[in-house]
This record gives sequence, structure tokens and C-alpha cells, in this order.
Amino acid sequence: MRTLRWLVSAQNLCASARWLSWAEPCKSHKPLVSLARMAHTSSTPAPPKDSNTPKAVTPFEEHFSTQQKDKASFVQVLDLFCGRDVRRRGHVEMIEAALKWMPEFGVEKDLEVYNKILDVFPKEVFVPKNFIQSMFNHYPRQQECAVKVLDQMESYGVCPDVNTCFLITQTFGKLSHPMKKYRRIMYWFPRFKYTNPYLIPAGIEADPVSLSKYCLERIADDRDARITVYQLPSTEQCDDGTIKEHTHLVGIQSQDQIALLEEHDRNYPVLVEGPFNLWLKKTCVNYYILRAEPSAKKKEKILDPERSLYYPIYLDLDLERDLGEDHTFDVDEVDEGPVYAMCMAGDEKLLAKWIQGLQETNPILGEVPVLFRLTSGPQELSLSVKQTDSSPQDSDEETTQGERLRMER
Amino acid sequence: MMFSHEIMQRFNFSLTYKQVKAFSPLLCSSFHLSAIYSQSRNYRRPGSSPERLPFWKYTNFSLKNTTETLKKNVNLVFKEIQDHLRGPGGKPLLENLLEQTTVMWEFRSPEDLQKWTVSSDMEIGGKSQAFLKLGTNNQTALFYGVLNSEAPRDGETTSSGYCTLRSKPPKGAFGRKLNYDWSNFNTLHLRIRGDGRPWMVNIQSETYFTLQWDDLYHYFLYTRGGPYWQDIKIPLSKFFMSSRGRVQDGQYALWPDKITTIGFTIADRADGPFQLEIDFIGLCNDKAHTEEFAYELYKNIPL
Repeated sequence: MRTLRWLVSAQNLCASARWLSWAEPCKSHKPLVSLARMAHTSSTPAPPKDSNTPKAVTPFEEHFSTQQKDKASFVQVLDLFCGRDVRRRGHVEMIEAALKWMPEFGVEKDLEVYNKILDVFPKEVFVPKNFIQSMFNHYPRQQECAVKVLDQMESYGVCPDVNTCFLITQTFGKLSHPMKKYRRIMYWFPRFKYTNPYLIPAGIEADPVSLSKYCLERIADDRDARITVYQLPSTEQCDDGTIKEHTHLVGIQSQDQIALLEEHDRNYPVLVEGPFNLWLKKTCVNYYILRAEPSAKKKEKILDPERSLYYPIYLDLDLERDLGEDHTFDVDEVDEGPVYAMCMAGDEKLLAKWIQGLQETNPILGEVPVLFRLTSGPQELSLSVKQTDSSPQDSDEETTQGERLRMER
Repeated sequence: MMFSHEIMQRFNFSLTYKQVKAFSPLLCSSFHLSAIYSQSRNYRRPGSSPERLPFWKYTNFSLKNTTETLKKNVNLVFKEIQDHLRGPGGKPLLENLLEQTTVMWEFRSPEDLQKWTVSSDMEIGGKSQAFLKLGTNNQTALFYGVLNSEAPRDGETTSSGYCTLRSKPPKGAFGRKLNYDWSNFNTLHLRIRGDGRPWMVNIQSETYFTLQWDDLYHYFLYTRGGPYWQDIKIPLSKFFMSSRGRVQDGQYALWPDKITTIGFTIADRADGPFQLEIDFIGLCNDKAHTEEFAYELYKNIPL
């Protein structure tokens, strides 16, 4: 209502001014202004006095360019703004600037801070008071701004809580766009909360050994697989005063893999390949595998049918199977060599130590040659960049290095 | 509700048609056969309309090309007639009624790669790169590249960083639109090998109204990573509808009888290399799965 009143008064003012200009068209610009001034009931504002309270409009970006960038200073800026003015003048610009600066302050996933931002809106001003107001877009700029805050929460995966709901209701009322957005988030977020079967424990990136254990268990996908920690990360003081750092070396191997390696043809080498990437949310870790090339002739395992007369090892029953009971896919198997073991190491030089450690459980490794086929960087990418060198896209991400082949023994 | 603008795929039919290159097989050189890469679609400024070239501008009318195309299409006509005589969907009726599994896409030859398009945020000015090629022993498809979520500096785009692999819509003889009928099956079966990143599976179905052209059905695909293959079954009832990257309030179940394309999108904001190896994409009929749609079908949306 207040805005409407202002609008009407402004229109009256303009109309009177135009009438004046019509009446005296040949007058210069200045008296017109003075006449318009006279139409004002209030006196002309005096020039701003030099006082301690800053009255000039300062861009809100300046508030955030503090040296210390953490949650406390971010909240402090918001508090400063809220305490400055009861009317919270310029809060939309302030909130938009705050949203932009959030990742830099490291608070983009903090629900408390988002609630604090929504708290900047003046309360109960934007709540529609009659059906016409709620029918039309009441205070659209402010509603859009609040939706923007919720949108950013959503894109960073922050689920709002009861406080958010309370703040939105207090600011915009129940029939508003921010409330709609809030309800949409609260419908879809819990629905997909547990869809990811590979949940990553929080804070696991800090310890390399527990991180390696988690990753190896995840990629091995075998409960019987046994993890061996060959080397713990440590620092060593040498005689000449230099400090030598030892990185971690964690391996995994299951009983099935030991049996497979035992059957490996001794004329062919086994390969250590890597590093391959594994992504845990936004961190990328590397792992190495011990495998063999796919052999041309597959050994048919001959089971002795007379090992037990009462319980035959295999049954060759010719069951008449209908097409409707066939649940297998008609595809060729991909020819790939068997994987014998996997490991994660902080340094490539430790891989020889890994093979040594594996020899304790797999004596065959002492008899077959071990070929190290290590690449720096993703293997496929280096090939592709060579092909597209002629294209104008700059491909400075990867530097390619040739395959390093090294024979052991 | 939004995931991000990245997953918004622009389905523009004139452009898709251009991609298919039904009338210009000569444009596909041997290099395209070895690896498909994401620069095939040009940069388009946000808000600008797609260039609508008349077909004679991008068609090769040389005698050799014309005869080849004609020959191909006439062959297709004969094949279609034969398929029609054999039974629905080119299979004998008994097989069509009884089959529990089918393999929709597999990757055993360079021709199989031609059924797919690769796109990345390069077309909105981003810096991601994506490539598709045959993987181990030429028996799998390897979709790989580098994700870069740096937003293009055009003053409008606020976020970036996506790469998409999408199958081309099936075409009959002389460029007729066709679609797949998946109504015998209720579950999507994928054999893949990823690097631990989450992906999104997008299914597009044939629609009638202009309003529905941007409708897509999504579900998530979580990869384990590591050297082993992973079999993933996603029931078709789990797919939720979105339009232009926004999940819709009014949800409708995916109608499996008119499917045009399937796609895989990565947009997880983790900058760096990614890769997804696909052995095959199939469908199966999971008798234990009786759910029709996983989300509420409100008559009046309580929002």
C-alpha cells in the first residue's frame, strides 16, 4: 500500500510539473526545477555531514574483501549489515554479493550461514496481506533473491531445515515462491539421499592408509579379499641430516586371486599396470594392478567326476529351457586378462617392494618375469591429445610422456 | 527443482538431423571412425537461435554421394519390408513375445560408435573435452575426456562443466523417424566400468506436443571404479521427468513403447579426467519388480 501511495504522489508531481512546463514553455530549465521543489512538502535535504556513520552507498563487494576469509568473518559482515539499518536498505544486493562470495569463504556447504543470509531479509514486510497481493507477484525482486539463495543451497546439496522454513514463512508468507522452492527441495532431496551405494566416510582424505584401505575394498568388491599394509607413512632422519620420507603402500589380494596367480602360465610375464584413477567425490586417487595378458588358449578345468560318487561335482542336465526362461544376455565376453592383485602407493618406486611383499604368499612371482607398464597421467588422454593437436583448442592440461618399460629380474 | 543447467540438453531437431548426416555419409571420414570427439557441434552463444540451414546447404550433391545414399536407402527399404514380414520389430513373433532380455547397444566395431554422438560444454563455450573410441580389444566403448567446470566468460552463463554421450535417434529409410519399443521389459541393464564418478542416465521418448520436446527422463548411475566390470540394473519405473534440466512437479511414468535416445551425462563439478567404459546396454524383464512408478502421481500438486 505504501508503495502505491508513493507512486500516486510521484505521478501527481510529474503531472503538475508538466502542466507548469506547458504553461511557460519558453522558460529555462532551472525555474522548473525550483517549482517542482516547491511542490515537495518536506524541505530539501541538506548535504551529508561528515560523521562517523557512513551514509554513502558503498558497494557490498568491499565488505567481503577482508583479509581473513572464514565463517566467523563472513557472519560478522552479515551482522554488521543487519545492525546498521533497521530497514535493511539494499539487502537484495547484499545477499547477492554474499552468495557470490560464499565459496571463497568456504561456507558454501554450511546450512547455518544460509539461514543467516535468509535472516537478512526484513521480516513481515513482504508477506502478502490480501488475495490480490498473493495472486500477483508480491515484491518480485525480493522473492527472486530468496529463490536464488535456495537454488544455491540446492546446487551445493545443502538440505534446508525447520529454521529455513520458519524464516521463509516469516519473511514471505506461506504462499510465496521461496516457500514453493523450499517444498520442492524437501520433496526431492530425501528421495535421493540414499541412492548412492558407495558412500564415502567423511574426513577419510586425511589419513592416506585408511583412505587406501577404503578405496581398495571398494574396487575389489570382495569380502574375502585381505588387505596388507606393506609400509606406513613415516619420516626418517638420515646420517647426513637429510630427512627421508616414506609414503604408504597398501595392497589387497583375495584367495581366489592367489589361486588364479598360481595357475598362471610361467612362460608369460605378469604386468604391473597403472596408475589408474579412482574418484571419491572431488579427490582423485591412483591405484595399480597386477594382471596378465589374456591368454589365447583357455585352460579347461577338468574335474574328476569320480571324486565323489554320491555327490557329483557337476551335473550336465539337458533341461528343456524355453526362451521365456532365458535371462542371460546374448553378448560375447570381453577378453581380458585376470587381475591378480591391486595396490595403492604414494610413490611408484614402492611397487617393487609390493611385488616383493606379494612373493611371500605367491611364490610364483619369483619364477615369472614381472613387467612394469607404468604411464604418467591417464593413458587414454595422452593418446587423444596427440590426435587433436591440430585443433585450435588448447590442450595444456596433460603433458605426455612415453611409456616407461622396465624389466625386473 | 534443478540439478544444474549443465545437464540440460538442447534437443533441437534440425541440429540432430544434421548430426545424423543421413544424406551425407561422405562427410564421415576415416578419422571419425577411429574416435568421435566433442567438437562436432559448434559453439552457440546462449540465447541465440540455432542456425537453420536449408538442407541443400549442407548436403553433398555429387553424383557419387547421391548414388551411394540412394543405394543405402533403397537397401534400407528392402530390409524394412523383410523385417515387417518376419514379425514385429524384425523378430519372429514367438521370440518377440517370449524374450526376457535384449541387447540394445553393444560395441564391437567402429560402425557401432557411429550410432552415438558426443557433446560437451564446448558448445556453450566451456572447456571440457570428451571423446569416444573403442576400448579394450575393440570390444567395448570408452567414453573419456577431461571435465572442466570453469564457466565461460560471456557474461550470461553462470556454470559449466558437462560431457554427454547420447545415442542417435533411430532412422528408417529416407530419414523417417523411428523409435524403440521397450514395452516387453521393465529394467535397464548396463555392463560398465567407470572410475568412481556418478553419472546420469537420460532417456528421451517420442512426444507429440511442442511443449514436451525438452522432456527427459533421468536416473543416477553410480560407478564403483576399479578393474572389474559392474552390472547395473535400473528399473524404468525409477526414471523421473525433467524439462530443460529442472525436475518437474507433475511427474509421469516413462512410456517405454516409444523410446528415441539414451544418454549418459557427467556433471559432478569435479575437474579432471573421467572415463566410462561400456560393454553393452541391454534391457531385461525383472519379474520381481512390480513397481509402476517410484514417485507420487499427484492429481493436484500440493505446492
